[in-house]
Amino acid sequence: MFWLQQIFNGITQGSIYALMAIGYSIILGIIGLVTFVHGEVIMIGAFAGFFMVTFLKANFFLAVLAGFAASWLLGIIIERVCYRPFRSGPREIALIATIGLSILLRSLSQVTFGTEQKLMPDLLNSHFIPLGQIRITNIQLLIIFTVFILALLLHQFFYKTKTGIALRAVSMNKQAAALLGVHVNRTILLGNALGCALGGVSGVLLGIYYNSVHPVMGASVAMKAFTATVFGGIGSIPGAALGGILLGIFENLGVAIFSSGYRDIISFSILILILLIRPQGILGRKELER
Amino acid sequence: MASFKQKLVYFLSAIALLMFPWFIQNDYWLRVAIMIGLYIILASSLNLINGYTGQFNIGHAGFYCIGAYTAAILATRYHFSFWLLLPLSGIVAALFSILIGLATLRLKGIYFSMTTLGFSEIIRLTVLNWASLTRGPMGIPGIPLPELFGFHLASNRHFYYIVLALTGIMLFLSKRVISSRIGRAWIAIREDEDAARAMGVETFRYKLYNLIFGTFWAGVAGCFYAFFTSFISADSFTLDEGFSILAMVLVGGQGNLIGPVIGAASLTILPEIFRNMAQLRLVIFGAAILIMIYLRPQGLAGSSILSQKYHYPKIQRHSPPKHQGQQEVSP
Repeated sequence: MFWLQQIFNGITQGSIYALMAIGYSIILGIIGLVTFVHGEVIMIGAFAGFFMVTFLKANFFLAVLAGFAASWLLGIIIERVCYRPFRSGPREIALIATIGLSILLRSLSQVTFGTEQKLMPDLLNSHFIPLGQIRITNIQLLIIFTVFILALLLHQFFYKTKTGIALRAVSMNKQAAALLGVHVNRTILLGNALGCALGGVSGVLLGIYYNSVHPVMGASVAMKAFTATVFGGIGSIPGAALGGILLGIFENLGVAIFSSGYRDIISFSILILILLIRPQGILGRKELER
Repeated sequence: MASFKQKLVYFLSAIALLMFPWFIQNDYWLRVAIMIGLYIILASSLNLINGYTGQFNIGHAGFYCIGAYTAAILATRYHFSFWLLLPLSGIVAALFSILIGLATLRLKGIYFSMTTLGFSEIIRLTVLNWASLTRGPMGIPGIPLPELFGFHLASNRHFYYIVLALTGIMLFLSKRVISSRIGRAWIAIREDEDAARAMGVETFRYKLYNLIFGTFWAGVAGCFYAFFTSFISADSFTLDEGFSILAMVLVGGQGNLIGPVIGAASLTILPEIFRNMAQLRLVIFGAAILIMIYLRPQGLAGSSILSQKYHYPKIQRHSPPKHQGQQEVSP
């Protein structure tokens, strides 16, 4: 029963990772570059939710919405500052720009928000729901539910709407998409904003799940988003979701065996193992360049 | 071959650096000079990796941390001498880099960068959690002073000469290696990895050599830092430290030897001048990177950022995308 409980906790945490990884995959596909600023995007989203809850006494959905909106705006800024000016230059320059922006954002938020951990108020008066022999909190259920709904909406968006199809077209081949009349610049802007906004939502969920937010949380969560993306297979959005959930489960099982101080170390070891054994991930489509 | 004029410049600057502690009576500025030397070693070793083979190591602080902790633990528990520990810490750091390299250097692109980023954070967390070895968050105090022929090296002036010698050796060796067969292989990999392989360069092996050489010096710098401050804790080796070193390389200009020296010197002096805004140090670094990228992407001293073949276009506000074909994910 202990293990079943751990697996359930892992699924909860994994669904947050899945959301991050989906956002990361969208950005990866649409920009064609990894981003180093994603951790800071998640952190800003979490802080937007935090301020919404503490100062405006907002409820869960408003907090999630605030995280979504703040990170959406940040995504637009990132695209304008880091990607658009350098799209025709060598790719390393955009990469370095994201590193610069990430340092700037993190240190600025350390200065403005303070370096200590902020406690997220308990806004759902969390209680246990007994279910067989494992205990589930209502927060866990709400997190899984939110991620599930978002994933469904995203699937509809990507396959049923014109904008979603344009997004997929641009991430496959920018030039062909432009020839077919897709407004490439606007689509890239939208895709980056959407990926960032999903990161922001996952930041808020993370803040609610752990009851805390702090300005340097970005580095380790960005690492996990990346691990989940690699785990599932780069270039595949369902893979990213699956990778996130599996990462959450493995991580919680590892924590149950060792100790919680080793949480990040466990997920890092998972990354190294994947890179050694199966670098294309579980659902990776194409062979990686070796 | 260096011309007479160049030799004169080298000679005069060497004299100036040797005489420096006699002109500066202020202990504070001598300390700043030592820190500059330390950061020159770190930034130059990172530049060997990032600038010469075009890998993108972000977590250099992790290797620096390993060097410092190796030195601190062996010196306080087993009383190893400073002079033995200098190469030993470098070797231990290089051994860890082999682990990272074996997992990631065969893959192209971003895997290496993300793994080094994670590695740096993991090393810090391991140091914090493995209290029986590293005393965890309390850090390791009381690292003994280095000795030379029974004579304690205690003053900042002594440390200044040690770091000057180390920097000199490091830059000299780098220059020799870069103009050797190995260095030419590195540059070939940076310019075009597939072409290099077609010409018979074993890219994986040379990338691994490169990583080992670069991280070795990070370990040496860590050892020096441990003895210089005589107290180390995990707080000195955060991701921010790694980002600062990276900022020095990027601002100075990668792919040549003088760039990181300029970057390390300017980014170490800059926060000292604005001492009253100490907490803005990294804000300044981040802004400096962004400004450099916009104004001078090749860095202050750089002639090229990664490769000669790129042209640096003027910033175009509404340029149509120029990348054709299948977008691969690696940068």
